[in-house]
Amino acid sequence: MRFIFSTIIFWILTPLAAFASEEGGSHALPLNAERVFGGVTNSMLMVWAAALLVILFAKVATRQMSLIPAGIQNFAEWLVESLYDFLEGILGAHLVKRTFWFFGGVFILILFTNWIGLLPGVGTIKYGEAPVLRGGNADLNMTAALALIFTGLWFYWALSENGLVGFLKHIFAPKGEFKGFMKVFMIVIFFIVGVIEVFSILLRPVALSFRLFGNIYAGENMLEIMMNLVPKQIAFLPALPFYFLELLVGLIQALVFMLLTSVFLKLICDHGDHHEEAH
Amino acid sequence: MLDFINVLAVTAEATPGSGNPAEAIIKTFHVEGPLFIAQVINIVVVLFVLKKFAFGPILAMLEQRRTRIAEGEAKLKHIEKQLADSEATTAAAIAKANDEAVRLINEAKEGAHAFTEQKSQEAISQAQQILTKAEAAAKADRERLSSELKREFGRLVAATTSQVTGKILSAEDQKRINEDALAKVEG
Repeated sequence: MRFIFSTIIFWILTPLAAFASEEGGSHALPLNAERVFGGVTNSMLMVWAAALLVILFAKVATRQMSLIPAGIQNFAEWLVESLYDFLEGILGAHLVKRTFWFFGGVFILILFTNWIGLLPGVGTIKYGEAPVLRGGNADLNMTAALALIFTGLWFYWALSENGLVGFLKHIFAPKGEFKGFMKVFMIVIFFIVGVIEVFSILLRPVALSFRLFGNIYAGENMLEIMMNLVPKQIAFLPALPFYFLELLVGLIQALVFMLLTSVFLKLICDHGDHHEEAH
Repeated sequence: MLDFINVLAVTAEATPGSGNPAEAIIKTFHVEGPLFIAQVINIVVVLFVLKKFAFGPILAMLEQRRTRIAEGEAKLKHIEKQLADSEATTAAAIAKANDEAVRLINEAKEGAHAFTEQKSQEAISQAQQILTKAEAAAKADRERLSSELKREFGRLVAATTSQVTGKILSAEDQKRINEDALAKVEG
């Protein structure tokens, strides 16, 4: 399904991009965020805007908390409770209590950043040569920061939950009970698997960064190209259907980031309780 | 993973003069220390604010509501139990009152029956007394009338005899004539 979808998009977009390129030069979004005011980049402005929006939302929603919720408090409670229950299903009651602030916060921040990046004016209003605003997650600095913060917290939580020995055993020690030659064999095998696991762990932040960056950057790029296909008066028309797609992508990417990071944490903190219960 | 390796390869190729893929990525995507740190600070600030001003109060409110609901449920169960106990107590009291009422009614019935019986006996007794008295009075009247009648009859007989014979009768004659006459009348 994914292959078919990618192929169709490729066949549609490639000629369009070529056409756009021939018509008015390259309209492709640059790979990096650009500085607009002093050292501040256009993507950072969007992150600030998203952060401000999130903070305002939090403040307004919790200004007059009541036992019988109404209006924005109701919505905020629904959002937080849904996220909490969802994460509790993955992490369990103990871990979610410790870590919800991060996963819930990251989800909301990424979602807000992705969605306000779709507002009219983002990428089109320019100050000099550079657009004043650029999708916050279409900047590798932002996605890498998210991924590295998670990595740091992942090590902290993993070590505090397992202890150093438990942490190393989790990665290198054989799972299951073996005797004799099989035990030695499994120790070697699991050690090799552990080394691969270490590489996997080290590459996770990179993969997380590029996944989010790539999806959001690609979406913005696609919208930019679509808008440059036709005269400016009707520039919104070709991009319009893709806005709906990007709304969905914004949500899915926030969800994917939260889901993957929470699963990574669960994997290292999983004590295999259900296995013991099964036995 | 394969996607990422492809990205590394393409980036390394696209960035001339850079043998190190990581360096190539950093150059291509303009990952810069100050920008990176600024984004880290942004994220940390947002997470801190969300934790302090959104998640904390909302989760506390949800917990408070959960506790209230649990307490409400517990109270409801307690009230239901109390209601059931109260209903049982009421039913027992009603049954007891019912038994008591039945007992009282029976006692009243028995009392009334005894009273009626007693009054009936008294009435019968009184009626018999009245009857006896009436009979006695009637007998006395009859005897009085009879004696008066006898006396009158005797006087009439004596008067008649005296007039017929023309002689004055002595008391003894009058008595004898009266007795004869009465004997004939009664006989």
